[in-house]
Amino acid sequence: MKRMLSVVVAVALALSLASSVGAQPDTLAKIKDTGVLTIGTRTGSPPFAYINKNNEWVGFSIDLVEMLVKPEVQKAVGKPIKVEKKESTPPTRIPLLSSNAVDLIAGTMTDTPQRREAVDFSLTFFYTGAQFLVKKGSPIKSVNDLAGKRVAAQQGSTNAKILREKYPQAQLREFPDQPAAFQALLQGQVDTYTNDGIQLYGLKAKAPKPDEWDVVGDFYSEEPYGMALRKGDAKFKAAVDAGLKTGFESGKYFEIYETWFGPKGELPYPLTPQVKAYLLKQIGK
Amino acid sequence: MNYQFNWSVLWSGQSGVWLLQGLITTVEISALAWVLAAALGILSGALRTVPWKLARALATFYVEFFRNVPLLVWMFFWYFGVPPLLPRAVQDWIFNHSAEFWAGMFALGVYHGARMSEIIRAGILSIPRTQFEAAMAMGLTTFQAYRLVIVPIALRLIVPPATNDSLNLLKNSSVALTISVAELTFQTRQIETYTAKAIEALTAGTVIYLVLCVGIAAIMARVERRFAIPGLIARGG
Repeated sequence: MKRMLSVVVAVALALSLASSVGAQPDTLAKIKDTGVLTIGTRTGSPPFAYINKNNEWVGFSIDLVEMLVKPEVQKAVGKPIKVEKKESTPPTRIPLLSSNAVDLIAGTMTDTPQRREAVDFSLTFFYTGAQFLVKKGSPIKSVNDLAGKRVAAQQGSTNAKILREKYPQAQLREFPDQPAAFQALLQGQVDTYTNDGIQLYGLKAKAPKPDEWDVVGDFYSEEPYGMALRKGDAKFKAAVDAGLKTGFESGKYFEIYETWFGPKGELPYPLTPQVKAYLLKQIGK
Repeated sequence: MNYQFNWSVLWSGQSGVWLLQGLITTVEISALAWVLAAALGILSGALRTVPWKLARALATFYVEFFRNVPLLVWMFFWYFGVPPLLPRAVQDWIFNHSAEFWAGMFALGVYHGARMSEIIRAGILSIPRTQFEAAMAMGLTTFQAYRLVIVPIALRLIVPPATNDSLNLLKNSSVALTISVAELTFQTRQIETYTAKAIEALTAGTVIYLVLCVGIAAIMARVERRFAIPGLIARGG
């Protein structure tokens, strides 16, 4: 009996020790041990992260990690490292991060107060907002024209949440993925499809007849994209932020932006002065 | 893994209301689909055993066609495929009146009708041929023999497999979330995205499905005992 008790105590101690270690993540130490920075990113979200025609896994978010974050992390651990990519989707990304399967989420993740309760976010590296994709000539011009209209949104998106709470006069239809929502718009099941503006521009560009579609409306939500990391890992967060900050200061960030979103980029999406000011304000400029 | 459980997300905020709404939608769509499936199943299951060739062929076609295409495809078929065949004004009307709910209901009902049909057919085939012959000898027509003798006995025999498929129908109703029906699984995922508490939300959904299914199974077990014909079936105990 006594022996059993001591085993139980030992196990309990080991568990509490393990959990207290887990409570203070030290990603930089892990990267130093393994020489690898593992990022969770998307495979089908051009131009942020996707598999291109040559079967390469590329994108804006990936470039930011490779060119801005990686050098800074190398400086912090004092040796060259490799960046490895794993697929992460909206439902899997937070679990992947908290189970240590990946160290950093760099894709299309919006920085929200709710998510901040589970993870920490880097500086904002992209800024967009919700707009509407409509057939040319549609009476819908902004979020104020939605009364009685059928509006498609993606399940679990921040846009769907805002519409449900603030614009209940719209008939909200939530689809699990973008292709289904767009199909519903094509066929008239819904009058418009709402998502982050950048996503809608991407959809319009890929549509069979891009000229038939318009992206309309001012941003009715703010969608700052950030890189997510384990909560409470201040040293790692400092390294990631330093990388992005250097990018903003040196202009390297804007060069990368041009490659992907410039007139000749994968998806032209000009950086408006407001957005540029928003990004620079983060580093006190 | 340093996951922190927070079960209060299930009753704080709107979670409770959402779960209730999801539960109601799941029960509604499943109940309506079940009625449709039972009607189609009994009809086509009986027709597959009648002595009329054309009726048998039609019923066989229905069963093979509808049970051999994935349910997900039927959902898309009824939601995306059928409406464009209707006039524009009708389309607009149904799109404004829960088209997704009815499309999901039809997909579920017609798909499970085909499966129910096979169960009913098995039930009918397990009745000795002499029952049918005796009914005819009593002066009943074929239709009367089916309505008054064969089908009522078959329905009693198939309660266990029919219960099984009814539970499948209830659980399969979650596929309707792909065409934006806000049923229980949909609401579970919604709570998950609002609170980032996946395990709690999924647990709530799981428990509700479990309670529903166990409840239905218990009711069906009572139905089975209540309607059993003494002496008809060999029982273990």
